[in-house]
Amino acid sequence: FQAGRIIANLIVVGSGVLVRAFAQAYRQALQNASKNGVAREAVENMKKVGKTMSESEARQILGVSENASWEEILKKYDSLFENNAKNGSFYLQSKVFRAKECLESAVKKDGE
Amino acid sequence: MTRREAALILGLRESATPDKVKEAHRKVMVANHPDAGGSDYLASKVNEAKDVMLGKTKGSNSAF
Repeated sequence: FQAGRIIANLIVVGSGVLVRAFAQAYRQALQNASKNGVAREAVENMKKVGKTMSESEARQILGVSENASWEEILKKYDSLFENNAKNGSFYLQSKVFRAKECLESAVKKDGE
Repeated sequence: MTRREAALILGLRESATPDKVKEAHRKVMVANHPDAGGSDYLASKVNEAKDVMLGKTKGSNSAF
């Protein structure tokens, strides 16, 4: 019976499409999952922050004014970094570090 | 501030209980208290992180 053959064909083709779609979705889900580990995200975030932290935010993080000397900045950095290493989170510690890094290039450039 | 960032700031898992949140908040504030050489900015982030973890506020913007 013709209709039977047509239906069988449709089922075969249809399921092929579904299987491929599912495989692709599964692969994407695996990729997303591996990218979403919190530890990995913290690291990624640190990398991102290193590239885009603004000087004004860096100053706010360390609590230094616009015309703070490098010596003053370093003093704030040392104490914040050490305190957060002892009692804070790794995340905050890295923000403090990134803030110092950001100001280092900004301040040292003016000093030259 | 997202819950994820709040958890990171306090060094907690997103699923931390309120008791753990308060405990972590106290500890992290020791490191960042403005009267003890910390910055107001970080102290306010730590406080905000506690509120987010305790479900007191709903924020979706980035912490930093």
